[in-house]
Amino acid sequence: MRRQPLVGALSRATGRERYSARETATAAAFMAPSLLLFTVWIFYPLGRSVYLSLHGNDLFGRPARFVGGAQFQELFASPSLREAIVRTAAFTVLTVVPGLVLGTLIALALQAPIRGIGVFRTLLATPFAFSVATASVIFQIFFNPGVGVFNAILGLIHLHPVGWLTNPATALPSVALASVWLQLGYNVLVLSAGLQGIPAEIYEAARLDGARGLTMARRITLPMLTPTLFFLLVVSTVVAIQSFGQIHILTRGGPAGATTTLVYSLYLNAFAFGSTNYGLASAQALVLFAIVVVVTALQFGFLERRVFYR
Amino acid sequence: MTAVGLRATAAYAGLAALAFVMLFPLLYAVSGSLMTTQEISTYPPAFLPLHPRLDNFRDVLHALPLPRQFLNSLIVAACVTAGQLVTSVLSAYAFAFLRMPFRNFVFGVFLATMMVPWEAILIPNYLTIADNHLINTYPALILPFLAAGFGTFLLRQFFLTFPRDLYEAAQVDGLGHLRFLWLILVPLSRPALAALAIWSFLSAWNQFLWPLLVVSQDQMDTLQIGISRLQDVEAATAPNFILAGTVLALIPTLLLIYFGQRHIVRGLTAGALKG
Amino acid sequence: MKRIAVLIASLVMVSACGGGSPSSSGPAADETAPAGKVVEVSFWHSFAAGANQDATNVLVQRFNDAHTGKIHVTPAFAGDYDTTFSKIKAAVQANQTPSIVQIYDVGTRFMIDSKQITPMQKFIDEDKYTTDLEPVIANYFSINGKLDSMPWNNSLPLLYINRDAFTAAGLDPNKPPATLDEIRADAQKLTKKDASGQTVQYGFGAAIYGWFLEQFAARADVLMCNNGNGRDKDATKILSDSPQLVKVMDWWKQMLADGLALNTGRPTGNMQTAFKAGRVAMTLESTGVLGGFISGSKFQVGAGPYPRSEASTAGGPIVGGAALWIMNNGHPAYEQRAAWEFVKFLEQPDSMAYWHIKTGYFPDTKKSQEDPTDVAFRQTRPQFDVALQQLHAETTDKATQGCVLGVMPQARQANEVAMEQILASGASSKTALSGAVTSIQPAIDQYNQAVGAT
Repeated sequence: MRRQPLVGALSRATGRERYSARETATAAAFMAPSLLLFTVWIFYPLGRSVYLSLHGNDLFGRPARFVGGAQFQELFASPSLREAIVRTAAFTVLTVVPGLVLGTLIALALQAPIRGIGVFRTLLATPFAFSVATASVIFQIFFNPGVGVFNAILGLIHLHPVGWLTNPATALPSVALASVWLQLGYNVLVLSAGLQGIPAEIYEAARLDGARGLTMARRITLPMLTPTLFFLLVVSTVVAIQSFGQIHILTRGGPAGATTTLVYSLYLNAFAFGSTNYGLASAQALVLFAIVVVVTALQFGFLERRVFYR
Repeated sequence: MTAVGLRATAAYAGLAALAFVMLFPLLYAVSGSLMTTQEISTYPPAFLPLHPRLDNFRDVLHALPLPRQFLNSLIVAACVTAGQLVTSVLSAYAFAFLRMPFRNFVFGVFLATMMVPWEAILIPNYLTIADNHLINTYPALILPFLAAGFGTFLLRQFFLTFPRDLYEAAQVDGLGHLRFLWLILVPLSRPALAALAIWSFLSAWNQFLWPLLVVSQDQMDTLQIGISRLQDVEAATAPNFILAGTVLALIPTLLLIYFGQRHIVRGLTAGALKG
Repeated sequence: MKRIAVLIASLVMVSACGGGSPSSSGPAADETAPAGKVVEVSFWHSFAAGANQDATNVLVQRFNDAHTGKIHVTPAFAGDYDTTFSKIKAAVQANQTPSIVQIYDVGTRFMIDSKQITPMQKFIDEDKYTTDLEPVIANYFSINGKLDSMPWNNSLPLLYINRDAFTAAGLDPNKPPATLDEIRADAQKLTKKDASGQTVQYGFGAAIYGWFLEQFAARADVLMCNNGNGRDKDATKILSDSPQLVKVMDWWKQMLADGLALNTGRPTGNMQTAFKAGRVAMTLESTGVLGGFISGSKFQVGAGPYPRSEASTAGGPIVGGAALWIMNNGHPAYEQRAAWEFVKFLEQPDSMAYWHIKTGYFPDTKKSQEDPTDVAFRQTRPQFDVALQQLHAETTDKATQGCVLGVMPQARQANEVAMEQILASGASSKTALSGAVTSIQPAIDQYNQAVGAT
């Protein structure tokens, strides 16, 4: 089985073909439900976002007057956009990388040839049962600087308490910590599945060639796991960039803006504290869209070539 | 002890430690949900309740309509999953087997929908919902998510792995598109469909920002919003109370993960990864 | 064909998922009360769950029982204060406002400017109704002596103390500190460390909550925004960088730096838990949490007046909380009258006393404070009388009326960012508070421009 690389699928020339009108009509009919839904809920709103971003708002957030590129000017002029992008990037790295690395290590540990490993595999998938909301409220209790569990554990080993969410320096990593834990359940499941999908014959052949331990991991396991890792990379990057719930529950973008990512900043402008600056928020939304397109394109363009497809 | 035995013991110990760390939030949530407010507000924190009691669960169920919110989440997630399966199967079939002009361009358009962050179109969609008087209704929570570029992409990749002869043989036999799809393709694609269903269900189940905006009645709230509301309770914010609500919300998904895990992994193996 | 039928059936199912829904009711346009029909009144409030929502529901039930066949009030939780405020704006856009909505104090100016409400004063005048409100509370919610809304759930901030810790430290629990300097002096005695040098009990701690900053301004008798706190004419600037507030923040920052205070961030629940656990011996909180403190802690809870930063005793804390608004757009006159009946019911002495006892919010009217059940209840909660005395001793001027500003919720948020910069990032108080003033300026300008334009 071979997966079509995304870019390849697009660029693959189909040549001059004769199309049957009947087949074309059938194909159009099959695509119609999706296309209709996309038009109403994705393409039309994208257009409306552009419209909103070019207008100022009245008291209730209705577009009131044409302002041209003023919203974009305001956005690009203030340092807060750049800061929000940097924070979003940092948060993405802080969640995606540990999520993949720890996920791979745990999945490898779960390959141990011992009895009852299935029980461990089930238990270690536990975070998968948590939603963003349930995980966040529990971590909020852990992070409480006064009576929280984390500082109590630090106290037991005679370390000084940490501000976790109250210190601007540690807030973003702390939110990332909760997110990594949450993401690990899914990652472990997917990576375990990927490892189990590697045929035993390949290991056997490598063993006959004298490969052992780390060599085996580096030469066989990891390359064979790259499609899985790539899949997780793309998915968890998009998830990280669009993270909202954990920031909303844990920090509301604070302290002092330390966890105000692009998505959260958009939320603050459009909906929070009685704000209805839909114009500015829409301008931010378009910037966010551009970023996701570029990041995804880069991932496919640079990384997918390194992915080993069978 | 033999070397093998020693290694196995070490493996068990390591895995047990790992499992404890990963399970700690769950264990603490269960333990805390059985404590009194005084017990959980002590320093250094108590890890186990002295006199476990179920009062918190009673209080939470009294305070919030969690069963109703659970039902809301279930209805929304089930409808979204069903909708995505149907729309994705149809469009993926067209992309994989049917020829039409601009097919690759249209496929590119489908892929682009995957890259539009929901937040980027949140405001106009919110206005669409409000303009059509759909605030506080199921359609508000469901309609925008009935089609998925991801689902089309995933299933198309899977369909493409079938030999083209299969399709042509069906054509020769005079099997219509829908019958071929339903009789041959869908049964063969069960793992990929399962993978998509899991993905759709969980993303719908975990939605947060959208339901927060389009619902303003606790009877129509989804479970996730209900849980986050446990924190809003003025002057009654007690961790034991919040944890009890969390544990209640976790029970169904925990059961799903613990008992349905083999199926999930099989779905993931066959669908998302190799397709 | 059977397969096609199955497919169609599944498509129908999908659309049924989307289509089957409780329909929403459109706005009524008829101005005359329908004969013999029950008038439906929808009521949005911000009490998610717990004692406050229970008490609300009981009062609604009592009202409905007394008006069977005439008026029926349906309460609905609309989200926390901020969410309700956002939602009312959205509801105006969608023409789906409730009959009555509970909006926090900082939303007052916006609600008036929205022109979507019928001023409460209209009904008061029509009925020649006497509100009997505490003057300080009436003042806070009035503009030019007129009430646009009806204050409902209100509270005052207090300094809460751990009486046991005071006694253990050799301090008199009957004399809680009254000024910032006194808090510092007491905190030095109250802060305790264990053998390893870790602090087990901090002297002081308060949530990073913009409301407290507003309280410190009123307590020092200084304005929070210009043009007489927005009472003379629309405010055009906030005054968070006044020397008095800079002094407060300098003091707070130093308390943290010297290890005498604990910072638990913005969520007030974090600090409440820390106080109940005995981790901080003194904290700032509203009268609303008194019941929770008493039942949730193992020590005796005491209370003192909100602390002063200045030597002068002029000024006093602001009454915080929310008020009820009657919406006009899409609500016929008879429905608004019915809503007003409900508002009057909530202000009755027995309703107010019940409200106070069950929720800890203030008995807003003088008659409700004299209600026997309320008097009896206050004897069990002497801490509450501190708040009452504090309220009665207060001078009423523009500073203690509090700032009315269209974008006050965002201004409070800007102040909280400044407080975080000072307390958590080590910024200088003057710079950070001035930063809050500058950062909110565009929002104020845009708001005033939008109001002027309509």
